[in-house]
Amino acid sequence: MTGAGIMLMSGGVAQGSVCSSNAVSALLEDLQFTLGEGPGVDAFTGDHPVAEADLAGPQASRWVAFTPPAVAAGARAVFGFPLRVGAVRVGALHLYRDQPGAIDDDQHANALVLAGVAARAVLTMQAEAAPGLIGPELEAGSDFHFVVHEASGMVSVQLDIGVGEALARLRARAFAEDRPLSAVALDVVERRVRFT
Amino acid sequence: MSDQSLLVLTLVELADSLVDDFDVVELLSLLADRCVAMLDVSAAGVMLVSPEGELRVVASSSEDMRVLEVFELQADEGPCLDSFRTGAAVLIEDLWRENERWPQFAPAAVTAGFRSVHAIPMRLRGSVVGALNLFAHERGPLSESDVVAGQALADVATIAILQQRVASESRLLIDQLNTALTTRIVIEQAKGVLGERAGLSMESAFETMRGYARDHNMRLAEVARRVLDKSLALGDVVPGSSDRHPL
Repeated sequence: MTGAGIMLMSGGVAQGSVCSSNAVSALLEDLQFTLGEGPGVDAFTGDHPVAEADLAGPQASRWVAFTPPAVAAGARAVFGFPLRVGAVRVGALHLYRDQPGAIDDDQHANALVLAGVAARAVLTMQAEAAPGLIGPELEAGSDFHFVVHEASGMVSVQLDIGVGEALARLRARAFAEDRPLSAVALDVVERRVRFT
Repeated sequence: MSDQSLLVLTLVELADSLVDDFDVVELLSLLADRCVAMLDVSAAGVMLVSPEGELRVVASSSEDMRVLEVFELQADEGPCLDSFRTGAAVLIEDLWRENERWPQFAPAAVTAGFRSVHAIPMRLRGSVVGALNLFAHERGPLSESDVVAGQALADVATIAILQQRVASESRLLIDQLNTALTTRIVIEQAKGVLGERAGLSMESAFETMRGYARDHNMRLAEVARRVLDKSLALGDVVPGSSDRHPL
């Protein structure tokens, strides 16, 4: 594998990145957060491993928005595994390779073990949390994209709409401009961009 | 079916039931029934330690009240309690000789029609979670193969119980994490709303909400929720603002 990343998910929605091993993995996580689709999202929602051995191939059409920028960044094969402890899921592990090719049985088995270890690590960090808060180590080590939610609040006032709809507008803008959602959100929060 | 194949079948069944959301009581009831079917005993029960440290009957092969009472007595004395405390099997060939050791339990068990009793610990590494209790009408030892089979069944049941405990702790932690995340997102959204309305930076918007929460003895999350649902007016939250319109 060329890179790996771990994302937290809640209610079927990507909520943040716990870690990523390189810039491409970070981008793959950001794409999934921005677009709401990709191998990690599918692994989490479907509760099973996901494999796309040839992301640039003609068969790889399941993620219409995710695939072109992922391939452009250098990901040629992507894999997703749910982060689970027993029946409980907390996020997803996503892997990529810069060459096309299937994941072999050993790698698959190792990825399952790693996803289990990562899930337990997340829960162990959350076990240290004060009531109602995110575990301190988990919060410090992760990126929950809070700026996106601040921007949603601002855009909801600018357009006189609900925060949910404001988030959808931010996503649409990020997709149209081919930029990460958090970059568009930062422009709003720093008052370089207004939605009117 | 021979006892041997029933044992194998039961072990497979117990292992198969270790799926994600199994019912522990159901699993232990199956265990108790199968003990009676394949071991040389007439009643079987599973006693587990409660969070308060007391032994409780969780499953029994018999619904007979007299039998259940004999199980329950062992919260205070009897082979299950001894087995639970020592982590070793307690095998009693003749209950008539045990009146001194267990003045409550032994006569009650005899009255319920039993003559011999055995307790097999449910343990995994250092942890003892309870005991499997076997009663027979006849006097005499439990055969060596029955002891081995009983221990195998108790071991599988123990794994099931510990696994279920880990699963419920995990579920609790994930629920807490999800709630914390949701709360935090609402606070971030409210910072944006307040910041945009009052022309404040995100930091000032946060400090303003926190100050309001402190002054009004409210939780920050509650203030944020009321900013979002517009039940708080801008002038209420931002000092010096004359805007009494809802946010």
